[in-house]
Amino acid sequence: MAEPAIFFQEVNERQGAFHRRAFLMGGFAGAGLLALGGRLAYLQLFQTQRYEKLSASNQFNFKLMPPPRGLIIDRNGVVLASNRPNFRLLVSRDKDMDVPATLKTLAQFVPLDDKRQARLLRDIDNAPRRSRVEIFEDMSWEQFSAIHLRTPAMRGVSADMGEVRVYPHGGAFSHVIGYVAKVNKDDLTPTGPNSEPIMLNPGFRIGKQGIEKALDLDLRGRPGAQKVEVDANGREVRHDSEGDIAAVPGQEVQLTLDADVQMRALEVFGEESGAAVMIDCRNGDILCMLSAPSFDPNRFVRGLTGAEYRQLANYERKPLLDKCLSGTYPPGSTFKTMTALAALEAGVDPESRVMCGGGMQFGGRYFRCHKKEGHGPQNMRDAIKNSCDVYFYTVAHRIGPDRIAKVAREFGFGQTFDIGIPGQKKGIVPSTEWVRKNRKHDPKWHPGESLSYGIGQGMLTANCLQLAVMTARLANGRKALNPRLIRSVGGKELPSGAAAPDLPFSQEHINYVRAGMAAVTEAGGTAFRASQLGLGDILMAGKTGTAQVYSYKAGMPRGKGGPWRLRDHGLFVAFAPLDEPRYALAVIVQHGMGGSTAAAPRAREIMRVALLKDPEIRARVEKPLPVPEMPVDPEADELPEAPTPIEAMNTTAAAPAFGPGKLA
Amino acid sequence: MTVSALTRPGERDRLIVKFGEIDWVFCLALFMIAGAGALMLFSVAGSSWEPWAAKHLLRFTLCFLMLVFLAMVDIRVWFAIAYPVYAIGLLLLVAVEAIGDVRLGAQRWLSLGPFSFQPSEIMKIGIVLALARFYHGLSADRAKLSWWLLIPAAMLGVPVLLVAHQPDLGTAMLIAMTGGAIIVLAGLSWRIILGGILAAAVAIPPFVLFVMHDYQRKRVLTFLNPESDPSGSGYHIMQSMIALGSGGLLGKGYGLGSQSQLNFLPEKQTDFIFATLAEEFGFVGCVSVLALYAGVIFMGIRAAYVSHSHFGRLAAAGVMATFTLYVLINGAMVMGLAPVVGVPMPMLSYGGTVMVTVMIGFGLVMSARVHRYSEITSGKGTLL
Repeated sequence: MAEPAIFFQEVNERQGAFHRRAFLMGGFAGAGLLALGGRLAYLQLFQTQRYEKLSASNQFNFKLMPPPRGLIIDRNGVVLASNRPNFRLLVSRDKDMDVPATLKTLAQFVPLDDKRQARLLRDIDNAPRRSRVEIFEDMSWEQFSAIHLRTPAMRGVSADMGEVRVYPHGGAFSHVIGYVAKVNKDDLTPTGPNSEPIMLNPGFRIGKQGIEKALDLDLRGRPGAQKVEVDANGREVRHDSEGDIAAVPGQEVQLTLDADVQMRALEVFGEESGAAVMIDCRNGDILCMLSAPSFDPNRFVRGLTGAEYRQLANYERKPLLDKCLSGTYPPGSTFKTMTALAALEAGVDPESRVMCGGGMQFGGRYFRCHKKEGHGPQNMRDAIKNSCDVYFYTVAHRIGPDRIAKVAREFGFGQTFDIGIPGQKKGIVPSTEWVRKNRKHDPKWHPGESLSYGIGQGMLTANCLQLAVMTARLANGRKALNPRLIRSVGGKELPSGAAAPDLPFSQEHINYVRAGMAAVTEAGGTAFRASQLGLGDILMAGKTGTAQVYSYKAGMPRGKGGPWRLRDHGLFVAFAPLDEPRYALAVIVQHGMGGSTAAAPRAREIMRVALLKDPEIRARVEKPLPVPEMPVDPEADELPEAPTPIEAMNTTAAAPAFGPGKLA
Repeated sequence: MTVSALTRPGERDRLIVKFGEIDWVFCLALFMIAGAGALMLFSVAGSSWEPWAAKHLLRFTLCFLMLVFLAMVDIRVWFAIAYPVYAIGLLLLVAVEAIGDVRLGAQRWLSLGPFSFQPSEIMKIGIVLALARFYHGLSADRAKLSWWLLIPAAMLGVPVLLVAHQPDLGTAMLIAMTGGAIIVLAGLSWRIILGGILAAAVAIPPFVLFVMHDYQRKRVLTFLNPESDPSGSGYHIMQSMIALGSGGLLGKGYGLGSQSQLNFLPEKQTDFIFATLAEEFGFVGCVSVLALYAGVIFMGIRAAYVSHSHFGRLAAAGVMATFTLYVLINGAMVMGLAPVVGVPMPMLSYGGTVMVTVMIGFGLVMSARVHRYSEITSGKGTLL
C-alpha cells in the first residue's frame, strides 16, 4: 500500500499553519535529541576517564592491612620481640542487623558474659557505621574455624587473622624493650607519620615505651592494602587479590644485650628490688640492663584493666620504674674509687697512712667508720680493700669537693648517655659551683659535706647505668667509653662505644685504683667470699657499697632491719677477668642492707654467666686433663696398645679358669 | 489494493484495511524500545526475569494489544468522548484534593476499592482530547488571537494548578507544556508566544525562590551544583553521571555495570534506567536507543501531518508532544542537565502508569492515522 502523502495539494489556512508549526516542533524535538546526544558524547567520549575513576572509587576500597612489625633480637640473634598470629572476631554495625541477638549467638562460640556483651553493645553502637569493632581476640584455631564457617550466614560478623606482638622472655626485657599497645588519642598527631590512617585500624599497635617507642617508626614498616569490591552499603562483595599492595615489614633491631645474662640477672634478684647493668669494657656494649621487679609486657599488649594497672603502679617496689635509668641512689662506698683517684691526681701519696680508730670528730659532729673498732693505720690500698670511711673522710677533706667532682664527671656521673631510649635521670654531682647555683637558701659549701662526699653519700646520687659506666671506664683504663644499647637497625650498625676520647688521668694512678679493687675480692677484702667465681684463675675485682637511706637516729635499727623503705641500699661494682678486663658490672639492691651480703653474690652469678658464654674465657677455664705418661719403645715395630685393665690382669696374674681358649 | 480502491465508500471502514493502515514500523520501533527496557531490567535485577523484566514485557504486550484496539476505534468516537474524559479527570482531581490518600508526602492517589490510580494521568490524555476538540471548532483567526483564547487558557490552567497543588510540580509542568504545545500548533499569534516565553523566563527565579516547596527548591539548587551535596540530594545526579561517563564508547558490557549492579545508582530500574543502559552499552547503545525514540517521535508527527481533520492533527501532535517531553526531560535529568523531577523514560523504565498512558496516547495517534480521511463535521457535538 502506498504511503499516504504528507504534502497536500490544497492546503487550508489551519492546516498550513499546523504543518509549519508541527515542522517546527519536529525541529525542536530533533534539536533536543541532538543536544542529548552531544551531552552524551561529552560525558562518554571526552570525560570518560574521569567518570571511570569515580566509578572505580565507588566500587573498590583499599582495606589497610597493618604491616608485620620488625623483630627485636639480642646480640646473638635470640628473638626478644616477635609477632604471632592472632585470630580476631570482629563485628560491624550493618543496617538490618540485630546486634544483641548476634552477640548472643556468638557467645556460644567464644566466652562473652552478659556484662561484656553489654559493654560491647555500647562500643558497637558508638563506632562509626561499617567500621569493625573487635569483640574478641586470641581465639583458638577451633573457635576461629567454627565462626569462619558461619560468617556468610551472620550479617556484619567477620573473623580474620592478624598479628600480635609477643615477648618470649616476658619480664626480663620489659623496661628496655617496652611494649606496644592500642593507639589512643594522645598518640595521634595532625601531621607526620602518626597522622596516617593506619593508626585508626583496630589491629594496629604503637610502641608506648622503651625501644618499641623510640624506634617505633623503624619497627613499623609500611602498611599494605587489600583491594576489595564494595556495594553501595559498604559491604564487601569480593576480594581482588591481584590489586593487593604488599606490606613492607618493619626493620629488625639488634640490641647489644645478651638474653642469657639478662635472664640470669632477673633470676638472681628474685623478690628483691634493684638494678643490674653490665657493660663490655672493650667497646661499651651493654650486655645486661635489668630492673627488678619487672612486669610482663605481654599483658600490656592485650590491654590491662584499670585494677591490674593500679596494682602494678601502687606496689612499693615499683615494677614499672626502670631503676637502671630512672632510679637514682647514693653510690655509697662504690664511689670511694673516685675519691681515691682524685686524691692521687691531687698529689696525695698513696702510701701515707691514716689512722682509723672507728670514727673522727669534725665540726661538732662525730663521723663514724662502718667498723666500730676501727681499721688501724690504712694506706690507700688498704682503705679501698677494707672500705675504711675514716681514710676517705680525711682525704676528701684534704682535696676538697671540686677535685672529686671533676673526676666523677669524667667517669660519667651527672650525665645522660645517648643509648637510644629516654628516661635517664642525671643524678647530682655536687661541687661548690653546684651548691651556689642550686641551693639558694644556703649557697656555701660546708666542709663537713666533703666528708660525706668522700664516701659517696650526701647530695651525690647516680643511676645504675652511670655506676656501670664508671666501672667500665676504670676497667678499660684508657678510654672514656660510651655505652651502646642498640647495635644495628635494619642491618645498619651504629658507632661503637670505643670511639671515645681518652681519660685525662695518669695511667699509673688508674692502675693503682684497680689494684685496690682487686684487693677487695682477695682474702680480707670486704667482698672476698661473695666474689669467688669458681672459674679457676679467672678473677673478679670490685668494690662494695652500702648506702644510707636516711640518717640514723638513736634507738632505731641502723639501716639493717626495720621498715623496708628505710633500709640501706646494697651496691657492688665489679669487673672481670682481672688480668684482661672484659665485662664491667654494677648491681644495686634497693634496701638490700649490705653491699657484700646482698649485691656481691648476685653480681658474681651474673658475671659467671657472661664469662662462661665467652668462648675465649671458656677455653681458659676448661683446660684439658693431663695425659698419663707412657714409655715409648723406639725399637718396637708397632705402637704398643694402651694397656687395658683386663689384659693388665692377664700379664701379671695366673691365667684365670675362664681365660681365652679354656672354655670347654 | 490501488488508491482508487481505498476511495470506495466504506472500504476504509473494513477492519482488515484499517488494520493495515496502522504504522507497523512505528510499532516495531516501540517493540524494540520495550525490548531494550526488558534487557536492562533483566540485567539490573542481577540477571533475573524477576522482579521486573518479565512483568515489563507482559505489561507491554497487553498495552500493545490495547493500542491496536484503540487504533481501530474511529476518530469520531475519540472526538465524542473528548469532553467527558476531560470532565471526569477534572472531577477526580478535585476529589483528590478533598479525600485523596497522602502517599510519600504527596496527595496524588485516589483509592477506589482495591484499585488506586493517579487522576493526573487521566488528565494528561484528557487535556489533549479537550483542547484538540475545542480548536477543531475554532477558526484560524480566532485561534490566532481573540477573546476565545481565554477558554483554552482556563481549560489548561485549572487542572495545572490543581495538580501543582498536590504538590506534583513535574506532572503539572508536563501538562502545561503539552497544552501549550497544542495551543501553539493550533495557530497562536507569534507575539503572544514570544511574550509568554519571556514572561516565563522572568518568572522562574522568583518562582524557584519563593513559591516552590523546600524539597523542590533543593532539587533545583542541587542540580545547579551537584557536587555540593554528594551524599544527599546531589547523589542521584552524581551517580547517574558516573554511570553514564564510565560507560565510554562501548560500555562495560552486559551485566557488568558496577554502578547499577552494586547499587550505587538509585532508581536504576525506573527513572535512571537510561543511565544503566549507558553504563553497560556505552555511547553506541545510547545513541541507538535515542535514534529509536527519534524514530517514534517523527513517525508520530507524520501521523499527525496526514490527518485531514483538525482534531486528529492536534490530538496526535499533542500526544507526541507529551511523549517528546518525557524523553527529553528524562534524558536531561539522567545526564545532569536538568533537576531530578521524577519523570521516567517511557517504555524503557519499569512502571505501569506511564506505559499505559503513553500507549493509550499512541492508540489515539494510530487512530488519527488510520482514520485520516474521516470528516468530523459541525453537527457532531462541537462546541459551536
